[in-house]
Amino acid sequence: MSRDQMTPLARLAAYAAGEPIDRLPCVPIVGNTAARVIGVKVGDFRGNGRLIAEAQVAAYRLFNYDIIRIFTDLYTQAEAMGATVHYPEDETAYLAAPALADLSALDRLRPADPLKDGNLPHHLEAMRRAVDAVGSEVAVTGAVTCPFTNASFLVGAENLARLMMKDKAAVHKLCEVSLETSLAYAGAIIDAGCTPSLTDAMSSMSVISPKQFREFSFPYLQRLIGYIHGRGKGATLHICGKTSGIWESMVEAGADCLSLDNDASILEAKHAVGDRVRLMGNVQPSEVMLQGTPAEVRRATLACVAAGHDNPRGFIVASGCSLPTETPFANIHAMLDAVREAGWPVNRKQ
Amino acid sequence: MSEAKKRLFQELSDAVVDMDEEKAVTVANEVVALGGDAYQAIEQGLSSGMERAGQLFDEEEYFIPELLMCSDAMYAGMDVLKPHLRLDGVAEKHKVVIGVIEGDTHDIGKNLVKIMLETSGFDVVDLGRDIAPARFVATAKEIGAKIIALSTLMTTTMDGMAAVIRQLDEEGIRDRFKVIVGGGPLSQGFADRIGADGYAVNAADAIRLARSLVGAELGAAA
Repeated sequence: MSRDQMTPLARLAAYAAGEPIDRLPCVPIVGNTAARVIGVKVGDFRGNGRLIAEAQVAAYRLFNYDIIRIFTDLYTQAEAMGATVHYPEDETAYLAAPALADLSALDRLRPADPLKDGNLPHHLEAMRRAVDAVGSEVAVTGAVTCPFTNASFLVGAENLARLMMKDKAAVHKLCEVSLETSLAYAGAIIDAGCTPSLTDAMSSMSVISPKQFREFSFPYLQRLIGYIHGRGKGATLHICGKTSGIWESMVEAGADCLSLDNDASILEAKHAVGDRVRLMGNVQPSEVMLQGTPAEVRRATLACVAAGHDNPRGFIVASGCSLPTETPFANIHAMLDAVREAGWPVNRKQ
Repeated sequence: MSEAKKRLFQELSDAVVDMDEEKAVTVANEVVALGGDAYQAIEQGLSSGMERAGQLFDEEEYFIPELLMCSDAMYAGMDVLKPHLRLDGVAEKHKVVIGVIEGDTHDIGKNLVKIMLETSGFDVVDLGRDIAPARFVATAKEIGAKIIALSTLMTTTMDGMAAVIRQLDEEGIRDRFKVIVGGGPLSQGFADRIGADGYAVNAADAIRLARSLVGAELGAAA
């Protein structure tokens, strides 16, 4: 398989301008798998921006995908606001306890200062270092957890779900203070020379209804994306699980690119909103990328290309969500190779 | 059954579907005052309501917040009725050990499965979240569980599911338990590979699976 003719930045710019490209952009969303590339433990990333950058840059150089995303877990903002995060020695961190044990302390919650609080400064350092190293050839993004999802880490997901039915004002307060953190962090990410990459796991239809999304998530997403646009950047919005009932709202919130999970159909999304937004997705991260063979990855990737390549506003071949840490390198290579094989314009016979 | 009791059972069912905790308590108290059968009130009232709620979830009318509120109403009614259960008349329930595997604290999915299993007449011991594989095995042996139900949302913890089955094998007690798995990153293929007895894609599916597994076992024993 011949390697790429263009740098990722040149490819994305040409693609956006409707000019010829060597292949479709491709983003296997590499998170903590980067630790495996340089042979360190996932837990070593904690508080170590230099190491996160080193791993992410090495992973990019190994696989030659099109966007670097500085990401270790969803909890960095909540942690900076008081949530307790558990860091296993060599696995992805998880939420041990929300920021608030009960609502009595709600009024004492403060937005995080990304330059000071928790691990946010280290993530910002990772972004700056990655930009210094390879920013001239590839886009570096920083993961931002969106307000509604962050709110669930402040009080716990079940508590938030009950509050949506019992105490709407409390939910809005939690989302508002989460938004302030997201805005400050997004601003700092842009100052670091990166683009915020939005992720909103809990806003999924696998959790809340489209109506609840409109009421509790949409207003804050719209303000966050409005700010990012005001700073001259585009916004990619990832929501996990089922999303078909909220695609319109995601577009209306201002997203420039929807990153879709494998519970959503690229083909359906193309017909529904593809004339207004770029799409990104959605090879199964667990079933195919982690557990499949390279041949299965090739098949799934080519199926994705077939579904999305003619999306009117463009398509990025991607995994449906962040890749599991232990995803075999051969499978990540197989995904890129399948996209190279499909070429551009895409050979429809495949 | 008298019309009055029938009406009360229907009201209990509606209270659950309407997420009305207060009404569930009030009506449950009426059942008790009338000397109604607590077991029937739970089965034909509260559980039927939770089943309807599950149906609405399948149809995307209800989502997780609604289901949680329905279950709050169900448990509130249950708390009133439970002390009035005549234990002798009730068949012994199949026991289930459920929990989220070590390394993960996402437990909404597990909680929904637990609620629906209880609603469907299983006796559920919930170990909670972030649970070591050995504890599932120890608890299952201790209480004489029929089913071990394992949940995870994170791929990092999928190996923990296989570890539960390995331990059952090593102790030579694999055939005493049915092991079922569920959660975002899983699939039927994964369940087959680790040698689980079944995979469920959501809470409603988990109930069908659990019922068929204990049903199959009863059939084989007969």
